[in-house]
Amino acid sequence: MIQHFDPQRQANSVDFSRDCGTPAPAASAATVNLEIDGVTLSVPVGTSVLRAAALADINIPKLCATDSLEPFGSCRLCAVQVEGRRGLPAACTTPVVEGMKVTTQNERLAKLRRNVMELYISDHPLDCLTCPANGDCELQDMAGSVGLREVRYGFQGENHLQASKDESNPYFSFDPSKCIVCSRCVRACEEVQGTFALTIDGRGFESKVAAGQNDAFMDSDCVSCGACVQACPTATLMEKSVIEHGVPEHSVVTTCAYCGVGCSFEAQMKGDQLVRMVPYKGGDANHGHSCVKGRFAFGYATHPDRLTTPMIRDSIDQPWREASWEEAITFAASRLKAIQAEHGRESIGGITSSRCTNEETYLVQKLIRAAFGNNNTDTCARVCHSPTGYGLKTTLGESAGTQTFDSVMKADAIIVIGANPTDAHPVFGSMMRKRLRQGAKLIVADPRRIDLLKTPHLNEAQHLPLRPGTNVALVNALGHVVVTEGLEDKAFVAKRCDTDAYNRWREFIAEPRHSPEASEATTGVPAEAVRQAARTYATAGNGAIYYGLGVTEHSQGSTMVMGIANLAMATGNIGREGVGVNPLRGQNNVQGACDMGSFPHELPGYQHVSDATARGRFEAAWGVPLDDEPGLRIPNMFDAAIEGSFKALYVQGEDIAQSDPNTQHVETALRSLDCLIVQDIFLNETAKFAHVLLPGSSFLEKNGTFTNAERRINRVRKVMPPVAGKEDWEVTQDLANALGYPMHYTHPSEIMDEVAQLTPSFAGVSYAKLEECGSLQWPCNAEYPLGMPTMHETDFPIGLGRFAITEYVATEERANRRFPLLLTTGRILSQYNVGAQTRRTDNQRWHDEDVLELHPSDAELRGVRDGDWLGITSRAGQTVLRARLSERMQPGVVYTTFHHPGSGANVITTDNSDWATNCPEYKVTAVQVEKVSQPSAWQQRFSAFDLAQRDYLTKAHQETP
Amino acid sequence: MSAQNDTHLIHMTNQIAANLGGGRDAETAAAATCRHLETFWARSMKHRLVAALEHEDGELSPLARRAVILLAERVAKRHAG
Repeated sequence: MIQHFDPQRQANSVDFSRDCGTPAPAASAATVNLEIDGVTLSVPVGTSVLRAAALADINIPKLCATDSLEPFGSCRLCAVQVEGRRGLPAACTTPVVEGMKVTTQNERLAKLRRNVMELYISDHPLDCLTCPANGDCELQDMAGSVGLREVRYGFQGENHLQASKDESNPYFSFDPSKCIVCSRCVRACEEVQGTFALTIDGRGFESKVAAGQNDAFMDSDCVSCGACVQACPTATLMEKSVIEHGVPEHSVVTTCAYCGVGCSFEAQMKGDQLVRMVPYKGGDANHGHSCVKGRFAFGYATHPDRLTTPMIRDSIDQPWREASWEEAITFAASRLKAIQAEHGRESIGGITSSRCTNEETYLVQKLIRAAFGNNNTDTCARVCHSPTGYGLKTTLGESAGTQTFDSVMKADAIIVIGANPTDAHPVFGSMMRKRLRQGAKLIVADPRRIDLLKTPHLNEAQHLPLRPGTNVALVNALGHVVVTEGLEDKAFVAKRCDTDAYNRWREFIAEPRHSPEASEATTGVPAEAVRQAARTYATAGNGAIYYGLGVTEHSQGSTMVMGIANLAMATGNIGREGVGVNPLRGQNNVQGACDMGSFPHELPGYQHVSDATARGRFEAAWGVPLDDEPGLRIPNMFDAAIEGSFKALYVQGEDIAQSDPNTQHVETALRSLDCLIVQDIFLNETAKFAHVLLPGSSFLEKNGTFTNAERRINRVRKVMPPVAGKEDWEVTQDLANALGYPMHYTHPSEIMDEVAQLTPSFAGVSYAKLEECGSLQWPCNAEYPLGMPTMHETDFPIGLGRFAITEYVATEERANRRFPLLLTTGRILSQYNVGAQTRRTDNQRWHDEDVLELHPSDAELRGVRDGDWLGITSRAGQTVLRARLSERMQPGVVYTTFHHPGSGANVITTDNSDWATNCPEYKVTAVQVEKVSQPSAWQQRFSAFDLAQRDYLTKAHQETP
Repeated sequence: MSAQNDTHLIHMTNQIAANLGGGRDAETAAAATCRHLETFWARSMKHRLVAALEHEDGELSPLARRAVILLAERVAKRHAG
């Protein structure tokens, strides 16, 4: 009987816990029929015999093969016999052919495999019972499988049993005595991660795995992604958490709470103790890969600093007092009511969290709109991707990226603007590197020479090292080249775009003032390089643009987003795989927080508050009239607080005191509040200004969903109880009830049901459907019941695409003689955002302080040496950081990160913001640097305040009987 | 303090007008600026900006001023309606 291969059925029936030995071949309709052990089967062309057998539940022994890596054929354990062929070929490197007849088990094969295993085991410690991989060791399994009963060679010969361990990495150990040199770790480092930090050093018996040039793992190029640990079939590379606690006994698939990639993980547990996180092969965003944060940096969840009890106080100069949940909620509600009674309905507001779930975010904005009775809700997307929302909605009609992450594997030219994927979106960065190794061309527009440009085996790469603040001039120049050199996709524009808007844009962009030659003086990028980049992007085939906060966090952030959309439309790079406009979102649920109506002018699903029909639906469902005017944005709230008209703020899972610009301004605003309610898992910087402290729950302690940068809605599943007894949505619900607005959800799925009912793009989303499909990319509705991986394939939500005029209006923040350098800020791989989570893990080992990177020539001019203390002064303030000389910088530009509160990176950033959305201009601050010998005045004040506030918390614990 | 806030609002309005001014005639640009303020600004900020029309002294750019006059009309109409 011939079974027909059905790719759909195949896709749905994949069991991701199984290892099929070799990766699935590239999708193809063509199939091959063959017979394995008498079983007839039909598999796609390009499938290996090993995989074909596995698909038929015939498990051929294997060691060096695993389906996350290309076949290698070194262990010889998967040898099979093929009718009509000589010898015993390795099943992993033998592709199926029509009519093939394979035998996987007979006496000859059994003997061969036993002999292979016998050799392996003759040079392997026999400490299985005390080995950390006991019960989770492929070598052990294979010894059992082949029936190895004796080792005739003895154990006295030359061996590797005395090889010493490398314990330098905080998360995993390397024990070469257990290594079988299968190269899985080396291949994982190359193929999956793309770092090429590992190699096989030496030949023959001397062969061994080496990090770098025989360095310790921590001293090598290793980025601790853990792909090697996951690939290792023995205990050679092993998580220290497993060494300490033993092999996990059950696992739950959930979604990482770090960056916007939104990797799926198996949380592998012992009871309610998390032993290790293993990236889930079935995760549609990450396909079984992870980074150092997601895989290893979860220890913060059980850190002793976790807040476990609600706290209240009348003034921030008083110690905290522990309270019951009921007491704290009542205290908060009565304060809010009293303030509104005295200062008016609009005198209070709230901030939703891009780190919390969709359901929690939805609930907070609902609380604000329905129970506070105003639209004073905002979210940290304000300070990162609000220009994306504005810019993409104006041009393409939807506030979201257009592609899946996988789309990059079909891109021929990749432009990366103001993003640093290998640090900030590492798992996607690895995928991008894979595509670059396959030959896609790379164009990077960034003031810094980012690591993506150092990708091993990189093909053609162009770097446009523009001056900070000149993005729009650059994108206009790219557009100018496209239009004046006839590189447009005229058919796409005619069919898909609004003609009048296009003609206006074309006339505008063709003006000679936008030519690369004219803008060279502004951007600092040689005209010829700009021309070359535009040609590459427009003519390579599939051109894809990826961008990050280096685009949005400017005074022209929204203009730049529109400029990017213009470029994509003009070249027809929209509406299919391999192309598109792709914002790389910073935090795990930035997309979701925006979708869920966190912005003051939009109800969930980007429905404007002034839209009477949409508002009417919400009013009917929520049972209250809603304000039809937008509310205050975060920076507006600060201004109003300082002025005295804004008196109370509810902040869930955000640390505005550390992350928002012009720290001293933010601190003054927070001190001006009569009631600040902070809900967080730690006493963060904002909480030090709070009157009510409500303990939050980590992503491991609750149910919900996150939406990643590709609009993918993924389930977050509870694996342990919340340390303070409540999931975050329950706390918001309690506060609503205490304010007299009833909420009675019993599970986050009910909140999602309400979202689906009120938000057209979520109409088809439910927990049941998520269970069934794994994840869903919105829009998900009657028309697209399984979601929409690629947007704008046939039309835009606004019908025709709308080209926007993108006038370059230079920032007012300029370098001059007093402030001659431009500071730009960013992120680093090992730390996440304000660092509240990662600073409480061993990730500190990679980055325990923020430093100021500057070019050696700027350093020399000022007599600065690597490691010197530098005072960095801007128009907003001063802070002190250690100097790090770096050729990554261009002269005149300095760089730092903001992961540590005491660094005061945001003391120096200014109030300048994007004209359309008030997104702060973090990326351009004019500064001067000079050598100093002590911390800045702000840092000294910060230390004292920090100490006092920590003391207030300790006292609260002590006073509780 | 409140004067400082007025200055800030006027500054933001000028910035919006400057960015929406490119490639449009003055009246279209003023209308676009007005529409932006109406769509994205909070009620209190709009009222305050409109009130500033009375006493601002040339700080609003001509285009921004025209937009705020349009906004004032819209706000008044809304109140009346």
